[in-house]
Amino acid sequence: MTSKMTPETTPETTSRAMTPVAIIGSGQTNHAKERSDVSQPELVREAVDAALQDAEILPEDIDAVIFSNMELFEGRAFPELWVAEGAYGNGKPVFKVATGGTSGTSACIAGFHQAGSGIFDTVLVVGFEKHSEGHTQTGMALVDPFWDRSVASGALGNFALSISQYVSEYMAGRGVTEEHAAQVAVKARRNAANNPHAHLQMPDLTVDEVLASRMLAEPLHLLDMCPQSDGAAAIVVASRDTARKRGKAAAWVHGAATRHDQPYLGDLDRRLVTTRAQRSAAASAYAQAGITKPLRDLDVAEIYEPATYAELAWYEALGFCEDGQAGRLIDDGITQMDGELPVNPSGGVLSTNPVGASGVIRVVEASTQLLGRAERRQVDGARTALATGYGVYAWSDVIVLRSEMP
Amino acid sequence: MVPPDERSRALVSVLGTAETKVTFEDPRSIPEMVLAVVEAALEDAALGWHDIDAVVTASVDLFDGLTASSIAVTEVVGAVMKPETRIAADGLAAAVHAVHQIMAGAYRRILVVAHGKASMAPYWDLTAWAMDPIFLQPLGVNFLTFAGLQAAMLARHDPHAVSRWATTAALRRSAATGGIAGPISVDRVMASPVVASPLRAGMCAPVGDGACAVILGDPNIGDRNLGEEDVRIAGIGHDVGPHHLMIGELTDWAGLRRASQRAYTLAGVTKPTFAIVEPSCLFPHEEELFVEAVGIGTTAPHSPGGGLFAGTAPVISGLSRLLRVVRALKGRTGERGLAHGTWGPAGQGQVVVVAETP
Repeated sequence: MTSKMTPETTPETTSRAMTPVAIIGSGQTNHAKERSDVSQPELVREAVDAALQDAEILPEDIDAVIFSNMELFEGRAFPELWVAEGAYGNGKPVFKVATGGTSGTSACIAGFHQAGSGIFDTVLVVGFEKHSEGHTQTGMALVDPFWDRSVASGALGNFALSISQYVSEYMAGRGVTEEHAAQVAVKARRNAANNPHAHLQMPDLTVDEVLASRMLAEPLHLLDMCPQSDGAAAIVVASRDTARKRGKAAAWVHGAATRHDQPYLGDLDRRLVTTRAQRSAAASAYAQAGITKPLRDLDVAEIYEPATYAELAWYEALGFCEDGQAGRLIDDGITQMDGELPVNPSGGVLSTNPVGASGVIRVVEASTQLLGRAERRQVDGARTALATGYGVYAWSDVIVLRSEMP
Repeated sequence: MVPPDERSRALVSVLGTAETKVTFEDPRSIPEMVLAVVEAALEDAALGWHDIDAVVTASVDLFDGLTASSIAVTEVVGAVMKPETRIAADGLAAAVHAVHQIMAGAYRRILVVAHGKASMAPYWDLTAWAMDPIFLQPLGVNFLTFAGLQAAMLARHDPHAVSRWATTAALRRSAATGGIAGPISVDRVMASPVVASPLRAGMCAPVGDGACAVILGDPNIGDRNLGEEDVRIAGIGHDVGPHHLMIGELTDWAGLRRASQRAYTLAGVTKPTFAIVEPSCLFPHEEELFVEAVGIGTTAPHSPGGGLFAGTAPVISGLSRLLRVVRALKGRTGERGLAHGTWGPAGQGQVVVVAETP
């Protein structure tokens, strides 16, 4: 069955650039463990109103809406049909993208394509998740019934399995330690203290506290993992002509790439070590954007790190450092707010994780940095920003934004 | 025949199509069904796996009992280390998104795949979980009962409606070939049990298992496979109406009217006449709503193969309608066709594709 498969992409696929589009506004809710004060459409409305206000446009200016949400986490089918009114979507072209953790970034890329198609001028992308109204780990355990379901353990088990391989290979040979992972946890939660939207607010967290937190699944402590959050986020994407005519600051899309990978546990040996999907997506997005030295060329990165060790692996996959040098990067403070490349000034997924919105939040935060509106988490002079998505077992999106039009 | 001055700039080309035979219970797994149609579509297009830049899949997690249900088909659609997007709606919406991607210059050739396997669980019961959990789901309604409410409202001041719908169902099934359902008399339709008053079992399109694949390509890349006889997509449109349907749109497919107008505008259609029309109607009253909304007139022929009344599967219906339009138009000159898909309760989500030959 797989003999005819051709797993590698063609060179043309990896470097093809799309019609330029721009993000002209964004918004997000205040994220929390439980937003029982609002329904799902009301949660979406909060983010959408914030995005429309940020873009200085009205609901009638939106031509089409794309949703991102993982429906089984709340036990729904077609939730966009119920929630569309929260995004002023009734009577408009609407559909939903759902690809696990990459749902949000893939929905954003779908928005880039719709706005670049010449059919729509202005497209609203909105991601939401209300984990408090469902049971996420049950949803995540609904994997292939023949091969994977009997060992399904949700996000935690999958990460523990892959991270243990990563750690055993890297900790022994190249010096990545659990202290490095704990430093990532501390960086994320301290950055989140500058972000009024973030779910977890732990400004005084220490490495010792991370290491002393409850062991969930070797080597993952409680504070190595992301939370489950209720929240929504939205971006407004405009076609090149629409964005240009506004004469206002915008975050222009210079590169966007998606890569999916083998979906079965047994096919994904050492996935956090090889990270081939993210490496391939990054190579494509960087080629489109002319990024040759990511650490030098990027000013800020908002990456989708559901676990501390994942952030370390992504440093290598995204070319921030050579393989095996991720520990040095965090040791040297390179990815801290005052470092050469601040990573996740928002606090990242480690501080806020409404899954359907988490990828959109990465793009919201990256574009907000370029527009200079990130307030206490602003990276001074940010002109080039990276946003990534990560989901299922190894699916990856990589997006490069700049404040200048391509 | 489409007048030459009305012929539009093609948005994308249709390079290949394939579908499984719809059955009540396909013994194959979802990946096996999907692999069969993907390989057949590639063969139809005379393309190989390397020729496909990206994949758009359509599936619904709750129907499959899988989270991120495109996981089940990632390998068999050839999406390993490729871009894949999953649209959780009717398969024709996935095709519409592929058109967006090609027009944006992102990819040259895209494989669009939809699958549905109603045999795995009670389909109509599952659809109750597509209702909002605050107002509608507690009422116990699902897509079937909503269709019954819709039909009841339409029949309220029309004493001949139910017998007319029985005639429609019998007519469609008399034309059905190769699907689940065969010919049935009007009397047998009227004698069949009521499933959602006034709808009777014999009026309802049977829902089973199926998969469908369509390969779309950029018409401007000089594709070696693209000939003058190939079918092009000239117009696309989709729409989502209000969820709380009793508020306004239950007896009017206004969303389809909006979606078709968007497609007509892109395709340059000023008078909606088509050589082939393939609606996605599960119930005969929906055909009347369809005809009214797309403006083709009550006498215009459609569903030459019996439409969905021959049998269909969740999620694939609209994409399989496109396949039938493409196959009907292939080899003809200057003709136009319309494919329709819908998702959600009582036609809340609507999608239209206008195809044509040069």
